[in-house]
Amino acid sequence: MSRRRLLTIVGLSAGSTAMYQAMHSLGFAAETNFTRPIQLSAAPKGASVLVLGAGIAGLVAAYELRNAGYRVQVLEYNGRAGGRNWTLRGGDRYTELGGDTQECRFDPGHYINPGPWRLPYHHRGMLSYCKRLGVALEPFVQINHNAYLHSHKAFDGKPQRLRTVKADYHGHVAELLAKATRSESLDADVTAEDRAKLLDSLRFWGALDRNFRYVKGDASNDRRGYERDPGGGLSARPQFSEPVGLSDLLNSGLWAALPFGEMYDFQTTMFQPVGGMGRVGQAFASELAPLIRYNAKVVQIHQDEHGVRATYDDTAGGASRQTVQADWCICTIPLSILGQIPMNVGGPMAAAIAAVPYCTGVKVGLQFKRRFWEEDEHIYGGVTYTDLPIGQISYPSSGFFSDGKGVLLGAYIWDMLNSMEFTSMTPAERVAKAVEYGSNIHPQYREEFDNGIAVAWHRAPFAMGCFGLWTEATRAQHYDNLCGFDGRIVLAGEHASYLPAWQEGAVTSALDAIDRLHRRALAAGAVA
Amino acid sequence: MNVRKPCLAAAGGLGAGVVFCLALAAVALVDTPARAGSAGIFDPATFRTTDGRQIFEQICQGCHMPNGQGAAGAGHFPALANNRTLASRQYVALTILMGRRNMPAFGAKHAIGFGAPPAALSEDQIAAVINYVRTHFGNRYADSITAAEVAALDQSLH
Repeated sequence: MSRRRLLTIVGLSAGSTAMYQAMHSLGFAAETNFTRPIQLSAAPKGASVLVLGAGIAGLVAAYELRNAGYRVQVLEYNGRAGGRNWTLRGGDRYTELGGDTQECRFDPGHYINPGPWRLPYHHRGMLSYCKRLGVALEPFVQINHNAYLHSHKAFDGKPQRLRTVKADYHGHVAELLAKATRSESLDADVTAEDRAKLLDSLRFWGALDRNFRYVKGDASNDRRGYERDPGGGLSARPQFSEPVGLSDLLNSGLWAALPFGEMYDFQTTMFQPVGGMGRVGQAFASELAPLIRYNAKVVQIHQDEHGVRATYDDTAGGASRQTVQADWCICTIPLSILGQIPMNVGGPMAAAIAAVPYCTGVKVGLQFKRRFWEEDEHIYGGVTYTDLPIGQISYPSSGFFSDGKGVLLGAYIWDMLNSMEFTSMTPAERVAKAVEYGSNIHPQYREEFDNGIAVAWHRAPFAMGCFGLWTEATRAQHYDNLCGFDGRIVLAGEHASYLPAWQEGAVTSALDAIDRLHRRALAAGAVA
Repeated sequence: MNVRKPCLAAAGGLGAGVVFCLALAAVALVDTPARAGSAGIFDPATFRTTDGRQIFEQICQGCHMPNGQGAAGAGHFPALANNRTLASRQYVALTILMGRRNMPAFGAKHAIGFGAPPAALSEDQIAAVINYVRTHFGNRYADSITAAEVAALDQSLH
């Protein structure tokens, strides 16, 4: 093997590392700091808190503060709790900014989660609240070796099974490394004693044959699968499949999607609430029902030395402008909206609120007349990744083998320009585009498509964006100012966390905020 | 059937693997009519149009709406129609270059993405869309902006 070739391989893995580091700097791979349910001591007598926003952060804050004995009031813009924790089911109507209204026409039992849709096993805060609130969880299939990796310009646009790409990539890398090891090219780095062990491990890890080659045969097919599977009786003999060559594999670019399932946030086991992520918001809502005022559009937040006052409009058409007051305020309104609401906080917090643009995510849910991905292609849950603008297709993680219709996630776009283009379309155009692109991967789309629904997060009236887009520079300059108390006001939400876009960020930021609030309230003593 | 037009292949940058499509995408679907324009963005690295209308319809109208009328929910997206701040072409250019609150930046120096290429537009593209917006939706500004002026404004930013 030429040094240049080896370097090519190293360069590829360095690319993955660099990618991971980039994600880490964005806070995407950070760990939760949740350890156990918070235990607040009793609230000072008569102390009150105003919670703005009934998304996950606001609900967690309201739940814990109420339990500690605070008088809690929650104002929520929507007519439901949960915020971006939200599930669309048959019969639901959704009107986006600009006025387009969609009615979800999924069959009973089917749904999509336009916002968060999966819970990593280490998001212990979310898992803890699901358990405490009685929200049933089931496995979310993230990694499916039989789902596809797809590039429209590789392999004649034919989708490849994750299984074969992964096996072939590992196999070729192992073969190259074994060659280098055996030709003593690595002697400066590998001792003679380690060399034999390294070769053994490469042979097993990469599914190499006894001569350290990755070739058509038992070893490789045990990973990549067979042309004809082994069976019983006279038709028992397997037919081996042929590995894809290294050059074709590298040029396909499909290797770029291999680390997804290895990333901390996407490792097995992942979970989802049975019946949709929105079950979490609903469970909080029934617990906190009397405390939440829905259809309340906050138009002003004002604090003085005695307390905090929020003015809101009742958008359901009741008495128009109203005011509520409390000793303290936990404000979870997304920065995309909060930045437009007059609020007398100091320069540092105001600058922080203005410093965070929002990602432009889009999701499209598609209902089909049958579960062809299971019936025809034996794909049970998991995600297909594609270089088409739809980004990915995710198959349902429940209802396997059921008759009747099926709903899949037909697009999940957070690439900025493509998601902006999808946002610029009408909902019907987004659905049509998702069907058109997806039919390149599943030709059955054309025959089996039934109906769809599309959510572009910048057009969601209650969010006006998907999640806060931090950079290392903006974090360094603004993050502490965003999270610190300003007088009697403290912010919480995924935007006030190192777990952007994850509900765990909302949970942990809320817990951090109420812990600090509680200490201040105790220090201030019972209110006058 | 889709008619496909090959464009330049994009090199994968940092984080390209996260949305790996971006390291690979290289064609545009050209025959599917959509209000957002007949030729989609498809691959951000090859989105080179300097047609101000196309840029508006595929990017800006997502928030500012098809007739530039803006929208209001819990907050609002400003209208570009009857908006006096458009009188200053420099103000508009700086807003696009740097972003403003939840509006992402589109200048190459300021644009960010989430594990994906940012929504960076060239000075030519920014000038084109400014000139489009300032002469549509009831706007009738006589002056226009050049790519060179956008570049100079960008240079003035740190």
